[in-house]
Amino acid sequence: MTPMAHAVISCLHANLAAVEAVLEDIDRQGIETITCLGDLVGYGPQPNEVVQLVRERAIPTCQGCWDEDIIDGLNACECSYPSQLAERRGHRAHHWTAEQMTDENKAFLASLPMTLRRDRLLFVHGSPNSQHEYLLPDMSAFAALERVETAGADTLFCGHTHQPYVRELSGGSIRVTVEQAGSEGATEQELTLPMRRIVNAGSVGEPRHGDTKATYVIHNDTSGEVTIREVEYDVAKTCQAIVDAGLPEVFAWRLSHGFEYAERADDASHVCER
Amino acid sequence: MLETMSTTWLISGPPGCGKTSWILNTLRDHPGPCGYLRLKGTSQEGLEQGCDAGIDRTWLQDQIPSLEDLSTPQPSPAAADRINLIELQQFQAPPEEAPEAIDPAIRSQLDTLQLRPDRCLLFGRDPELPGQDTLAFNRLEAWSLSLHNSVWDPNSLSSFWFELVNGAYGDVYRAKALMNLPDGRAFFCNWMVSQQGSQFLPLERVEPPHGRPKRSSELVVQGKALNGIGIQTTIDDCLISDDVLEMHQAPMRDQQPESTHTR
Repeated sequence: MTPMAHAVISCLHANLAAVEAVLEDIDRQGIETITCLGDLVGYGPQPNEVVQLVRERAIPTCQGCWDEDIIDGLNACECSYPSQLAERRGHRAHHWTAEQMTDENKAFLASLPMTLRRDRLLFVHGSPNSQHEYLLPDMSAFAALERVETAGADTLFCGHTHQPYVRELSGGSIRVTVEQAGSEGATEQELTLPMRRIVNAGSVGEPRHGDTKATYVIHNDTSGEVTIREVEYDVAKTCQAIVDAGLPEVFAWRLSHGFEYAERADDASHVCER
Repeated sequence: MLETMSTTWLISGPPGCGKTSWILNTLRDHPGPCGYLRLKGTSQEGLEQGCDAGIDRTWLQDQIPSLEDLSTPQPSPAAADRINLIELQQFQAPPEEAPEAIDPAIRSQLDTLQLRPDRCLLFGRDPELPGQDTLAFNRLEAWSLSLHNSVWDPNSLSSFWFELVNGAYGDVYRAKALMNLPDGRAFFCNWMVSQQGSQFLPLERVEPPHGRPKRSSELVVQGKALNGIGIQTTIDDCLISDDVLEMHQAPMRDQQPESTHTR
């Protein structure tokens, strides 16, 4: 691996075994730069341990929706949950996590920035608009391009969906018609955009891609190449810890099957208004 | 086409073999009057009967409004072109095909209702019936829940059903239900381990937007190591409150013509 490679991890969700396995995988490749896209906690059984590990490794991290809710309280509007069932389970997980976390670790989550930027690379949890917005791989190309372009980025790294993907947005153009007061007619301008990319890092602690393996991405800053990595970890250990913690057992069941358990809202592009 | 004379058949087979679907299609194709009865089967060693709780009858009567309920003795004589189909969950084939070989407990139920089958058809044995979903069970538990008055949050129902049939609450081989939604519709939910995917079939009758629905609503599950408490806990999180139901129904009432604002 070249020295210009860096790893991007997201959605750790208090799953210590998965986080440790991914960090070992990154270390084995000699990658020294890691960026985290948030959601360190939520659903999983080891919120303090995972936050502590991220702090110890001094991994630059932006704030995820769960990180925000734990420190601000449940003030997301109901759109964050796709169903009553998901909402009630989510609230149970929220209250359990909030009770477990130390003040010091909560303060750390509160200190996290919404975005991280390195030159033309932008790192967010959901989208540049909100930690709660899902940038799905099949969302309208225009909307996807708008998210990247208005954020002033060439490549936008995000998480939140738990499904890793790389989407290239090429051939984009914006046509604008301008009418000026006092002058007749309108002028038309067309702006051709260079290729933009959205890279979703998937999820370390709550994989939702039909497999139980943790996922993250490696980005080569020189070549721009993106590699999606899948890492095996001790799923059974985390599942047992979920049950032992008294969290809903269905969380363990879904984790053991690679099913999603933080289902997305019907309108994935909806931005929460508080 | 069945013969133009009064006909009474006993249709039996193991859970999920397609008895109700076959009966529905047969009754739909029959031009004359028709009747239906679901008999209470008998449990065997390690094989527990599922409590149907009227799911099949409700579904069939919704699809065929003229269907007569045979659970009370019928006035005689029956019309010549009438067909009566009697459904029975039966794990193992009786020793003989002849009506005389019917289990005495079943015979007793039929005698009470003055019903005498002309034929006994068994899924997995008789070629007239489809056989692809006829499974042999050696152990089966049953769990059921009355959901009378209950209304589901639609997306929660979808999640719950996915979890149920994919093993979150034990090894489910068979699940069927009648579920009410806030917009007045109800669905016959049907799943069998041998089939791909679930059926979600809408009932024809839509309840008016005036409070909780009156019709039957039940869930029946058969399988192994069923976690009834887990199922119940999840269902509690899926059913909507009076306030939420009212939020759904108020706009629907406003959209109705004034003349239909009746209870």
